[in-house]
Amino acid sequence: MSSAWWRRGAIAAGGFAFLAATVDPGVAQGPPPGFSPLDKTNVKASKQDETLRPHPTPPTVTPVEKIPVDKLRLPPGFKAEIWSSGHPGGRTMVRGSKGTIFMGTRLIGRVYAIVDKDGKREVKTLLQGLTQPNGLAFKDGSLYVFAIHRVLRFDNIEDKLDNPGEPVDLTDKFGLPDTIHHNWKYVAFGPDGKLYVQVGANCNICEVNPGTHAHIRRYNADGSGMEIVARGVRNTVGFDWHPVTKELWFTDNGRDWAGDAGPEDELNRIAKGQEGANYGFPYCHAQGIPDPDIRVPNPCAGTVLPAALLGPHSAGLGILFYTGNMFPASYKNVAFIARRGSWNRTQKFGYDVVVARTSGGKATIEPFMTGLLDAKKNEFYGRPTYLLQMPDGSLLVSDEQNGAIYRISYGPKTAGK
Amino acid sequence: MRLSDWTWLRPPALALAAAIHCSQAAIAQNVPLEERIAQCKACHGEDGNSRLERIPSIAGQPEFFILNQLVLMREGVRRVAAMTEAVKGLTDAEIEALAKYFANRPAKASDEPIDPELVKRGAELATKLRCGSCHAANMTGHQQIPRLAGQRVDYLIASLKDYRDNTRSGADTLMSVVVQGLADADLAALAHYSASR
Repeated sequence: MSSAWWRRGAIAAGGFAFLAATVDPGVAQGPPPGFSPLDKTNVKASKQDETLRPHPTPPTVTPVEKIPVDKLRLPPGFKAEIWSSGHPGGRTMVRGSKGTIFMGTRLIGRVYAIVDKDGKREVKTLLQGLTQPNGLAFKDGSLYVFAIHRVLRFDNIEDKLDNPGEPVDLTDKFGLPDTIHHNWKYVAFGPDGKLYVQVGANCNICEVNPGTHAHIRRYNADGSGMEIVARGVRNTVGFDWHPVTKELWFTDNGRDWAGDAGPEDELNRIAKGQEGANYGFPYCHAQGIPDPDIRVPNPCAGTVLPAALLGPHSAGLGILFYTGNMFPASYKNVAFIARRGSWNRTQKFGYDVVVARTSGGKATIEPFMTGLLDAKKNEFYGRPTYLLQMPDGSLLVSDEQNGAIYRISYGPKTAGK
Repeated sequence: MRLSDWTWLRPPALALAAAIHCSQAAIAQNVPLEERIAQCKACHGEDGNSRLERIPSIAGQPEFFILNQLVLMREGVRRVAAMTEAVKGLTDAEIEALAKYFANRPAKASDEPIDPELVKRGAELATKLRCGSCHAANMTGHQQIPRLAGQRVDYLIASLKDYRDNTRSGADTLMSVVVQGLADADLAALAHYSASR
């Protein structure tokens, strides 16, 4: 079935059915019997095409010849090539100290280990059968795996790639909520040695308990000492620290079913000394847009507005501040952001990698890697999800839709390609 | 390494039902496609439309949906005890062939009794919950999203409960939000309505 329709043209992703509960907002005593108490989405009011739904992600290998590397467009002097493939659903990437690239996934439930062998990449399925193990971190020889509701640590993992053995189960120590929606994890160690963990809102738009949901936390590596560092965050799925200021910057995906035009996804910063600040969800979105379905007085009071907007429904995921020496000096300390691309929008948007140039608390966005979206046909060919800087200064970009990693390099030899 | 052995999730009730009704014999690897198809039919019905309690019909399901679910079961992400042996060692190519075969069988309605009162109540609920947005207006499914029209009522009720109670492994995260807090009677109404389409 190599000519299967989902491998051609309008490739799609997401892998999840979406149904938003339409709840009458006028009910004072909670929702009437029979209706979800959680989600306040009012699709009718959004005036959007009600048949919009997430795009599926192929769970099988995309043959190398169908990987759309030839479609990629980059600024002059940059070059893209297929670095590895054959890892369906591969998203997050972390690099072990011995050079192994570990890759997390969502629906397919695998963690891959990619190693160099005779100048080529060998892909191993390291772990299998987990629930959306998207959160990976590496420290002192150990791989931390965050699946939905579970935290596992595999010690000395790079010496045991063919048989990782029993992990240390840290699930109880971290005590994460057991709700599943928007709880595939993004995690990373900060410059303070703490492990930063996303907890998304368990809905499209709803009231949340700010002590349990819609925030970013940090822990000691053993799961102790939890603190909330950002509140009112609907669903961040990527963050990184500015190399100079050491401040945390994070992407945040805006709500759906409030119009094709947005509210736009956000790029946010936690300014020094502002840990615990509020970023607006569910009352205030993007550059100060009050929520249409949950109305409160002064919805944006006390909200930190975004450093930059990332576009309507664009699904900004991975963010990486570039510190390498391969790219031109103008890319030093700028952030690359992978935008997985929209589903809740008639005209597709995103499916690219952009650059965010930060200055103080603001950022400007410019295109970097394009070509995976054909706006005229309203079709997409791949979905960039996460980024990794290699020791030589090249940039790896994962394409979840095609189970591939692209390597972006720069140099006079590659100019014009 | 497969992590499904030490999961905290209990096997869903439908798996037990299936194990009672159908063969539990291990299936050898590298068997011809016809034999694989025959194994499926033993439980899911000669024409892919199930007549067995809590066993879903697979005829006329979207091809991507069948493909996706078989991969997830093979991977140990979606854990259905009665399917464990059947999916062991299946290759992507075999899964693609099985998906194509059953997607192209005509779907027939379940022979269970449908309660018109529940259908009426379910129709209102389905409108409010916007089931048709993903499952399509007539519940015929779309890409990764299953067909519900004509499906077995008992299977739909069991599935909806597993979504609501967070006991379905490898579950679609959005479905858990949609059915959160619904009463058993609401789930029954949704099942009768969907099955009646």
